[in-house]
Amino acid sequence: MTDTLVAPAGPARTTSRSSGLLRLTPTSGVGLEVALVWFSVLVLLPLAAVVGAAAAGGWGAFWGTLTDAQTFAALRLTVVEAAAVTVVNAVIGTVVAWVLVRDQFVGKRVLDVVIDIPFALPTIVAGLVLLSLYGPESPVGIDIVNTRQGIFLALLFVTLPFVVRTVQPVLIELDADVEEAAASLGASRATTFRRIILPSLVPAITAGSSLGFARAISEFGSLVLISGNTPYRTEVASLKILKFIEGDNQAGAAAVAVLLLLVAIVTIVGLDLFSRRVARRG
Amino acid sequence: MSIEVRGVGKRYGDFVALDDINVSLPTGQLTALLGPSGGGKSTLLRIIAGLESADSGSVDIEGVDATKLPPQKRNVGFVFQHYAVFKHMTVAKNVAFGLEIRKRPKAEVKAKVAELLELVHLSQFAHRLPSQLSGGQRQRLALARALAVEPSVLLLDEPFGALDAQVRKELREWLRRLHDEVHVTTVFVTHDQEEALEVADEIVVINQGRIEQIGTPDQLYDEPANDFVMGFLGAVTRLGPLRLRPHDIEVAVSPGVPGSTPGVVQRALRVGFEVRLTVDVPGQEEPVLVVLSRTHARALDLELGSRVWLSPTTGATAVSVLGLARPEVVSA
Repeated sequence: MTDTLVAPAGPARTTSRSSGLLRLTPTSGVGLEVALVWFSVLVLLPLAAVVGAAAAGGWGAFWGTLTDAQTFAALRLTVVEAAAVTVVNAVIGTVVAWVLVRDQFVGKRVLDVVIDIPFALPTIVAGLVLLSLYGPESPVGIDIVNTRQGIFLALLFVTLPFVVRTVQPVLIELDADVEEAAASLGASRATTFRRIILPSLVPAITAGSSLGFARAISEFGSLVLISGNTPYRTEVASLKILKFIEGDNQAGAAAVAVLLLLVAIVTIVGLDLFSRRVARRG
Repeated sequence: MSIEVRGVGKRYGDFVALDDINVSLPTGQLTALLGPSGGGKSTLLRIIAGLESADSGSVDIEGVDATKLPPQKRNVGFVFQHYAVFKHMTVAKNVAFGLEIRKRPKAEVKAKVAELLELVHLSQFAHRLPSQLSGGQRQRLALARALAVEPSVLLLDEPFGALDAQVRKELREWLRRLHDEVHVTTVFVTHDQEEALEVADEIVVINQGRIEQIGTPDQLYDEPANDFVMGFLGAVTRLGPLRLRPHDIEVAVSPGVPGSTPGVVQRALRVGFEVRLTVDVPGQEEPVLVVLSRTHARALDLELGSRVWLSPTTGATAVSVLGLARPEVVSA
C-alpha cells in the first residue's frame, strides 16, 4: 500500500493562491519536472496500475469481491479499528505532546526519544514485542492474541508517534504572550485552551491523525503475529490482500487495495477540510 | 489613587529585578515607566497586571488589594510589544473575545465592538484576519481588544517597540489623543525618552530595579534628580565644572561673554536641521559636544579648525561635576 506516501494535511493556509503558474523561471521549471517525474514513477503510476488491475476483472468482479461477506467484514474491521485508534491518538497524542513541551520532569529527554521507538521499529518486531508481553505466555496474564482488542493495541502502538510529533513543534512555537493576553481579558485556563490554544493545534492534530489513520489501515507486520487472522472476526484488509495473492486472485487483491486507497483519500481530504474550518472558527 | 504599589521586590535567582518599589498612580493619568532595558520596568508592569508575582510588597488597584489576585480578576487591559493578537480570529472576534467570556448579550457585544473599531480606525477591517494587517494596525487592534472589557487600568508594555520610526510617531500622538478621549488610567513602559516626554503626564524613571525619579516631563528634564536621570533623558556634555545639555551651550566666534571657554572645532556633523560640533577645550580631557541649528552654524561660518568661545546659555539646566545634589539654573 502506498497510503503513507500521501502528503499530510498541512496547516490551513489562508493566503490566496498565486496566479503565476504559467510564468515559471527555468530553475523552478526544472524543479517542477523533477518533482512530477519522481512523484509519477513512485506514486501515480503504481497507483494507476493497481486501479487498472482492479478494473481488469470488470465491474462485476470488482463489486463481487467487495460485497463478499468475508472481504467486507475485513474491510469494515480495518476501517472501524483505524478510526477508533485515530480518535484515541488525537487525544492522547496531544496530551503527550503537551506534557513534553510544557512540563518539567525527570526523564523528559528520555521519554522524548522513546516516543519514536514504535515508529522506528520494524513492525514485525513491534508485533513480537506485544506478543511477548500480552501473548499466550504473558507474564502479566493478559492474552490478547486473536482478539480485536489485540488489533487495537497493536495499531495504537505503531501509530503513537504521529500526533505527538506533529503537535510538539507547533506547541513549542506558540507565543506565551497570547495566552497571557487571554488571561488578562478574563479567560480561564480551560477557556484559553479551548478557544486560543486548541485552534492553533488543530491543523497539526489532524495532520498527525491523517498519518496515523493511513498507517493504521495499511498496518501489516505487527498484525500478522497478533490478529490471529480469523475470517469475520480478526481478519484485517491488508492480511486479506495477502490471502488473495496467495490464492492467485490478483483482481481481488487489487479491488481491496483500491478501496483502501479511496478510504485513505476521503479521510485525508476530510480531515484537512475539518482542520481548515476549525482553525478559522476559533 | 488608581494604582498603589508598596514595597514591591522581585528577584530572579541572584538578579534583583525590583528592589522596594513604591509608587502611586492617580486615576485617569497617563504614566510612563522609563528606563534602560533590563532595568525592571517591564517586570513592574507585569506585576501590576498579575502576569508575574512579586516576592514582597503589595499592589492595590482601585482601592482593592490585588496582590494575590490572578490576572483574570484584576480587570486590567494589557497590550504587548508583539501585539499577541489571536491569529485565527477576525479583527472583530479578537475585540469581542473579552466580552464573550463575560457572557454579555450578543447585541451589546456587537455594538461595543463596532464602537471600539471606530475608535481605533479599524472598522473597514472588521472581517479580516490579523495576518492581513500591518504592525501598526495590529497594535491598534490589541488596544481595542484590551479596552473592550472596560478595564480600570490599561497597561502597555513597549507598545510601539516593534514598529518603524514613522508609525511609532503617529501611534504615540494617537495614543495621547485616545487617552484624552477615553480617560482610562494608563501606564506604558518605554525605553525611548522622547516617547515618554511627548506622551506622558508623569514619568517614573526606573534603573537597576530602583526608582530614580518620579515627576512630570518638565520636572525631569529641568530638574533631574541625579546624573543618571539627566543622562537618560537626553545627551549630556561637560563644560568646565558643569554638566549640561549640548544644546544649552552658546557658541561665539569672539571672546565676547566674560568667563567663556575658548576651544577649537574638531568635528562638525550635520544631521538634518542640526549641526553637532565636537570642540577641543584646553585643560579638559574629553571634548565638549555642542548642538546648534544649521542656520545658526551657517551664520557663524563655522568649519573645522574654527576658534570658538563656549558658555552656558542663560537658563540652562546644569549639574556641577563635583557632585552637587541639586541642579542649578545658570543665570545671566
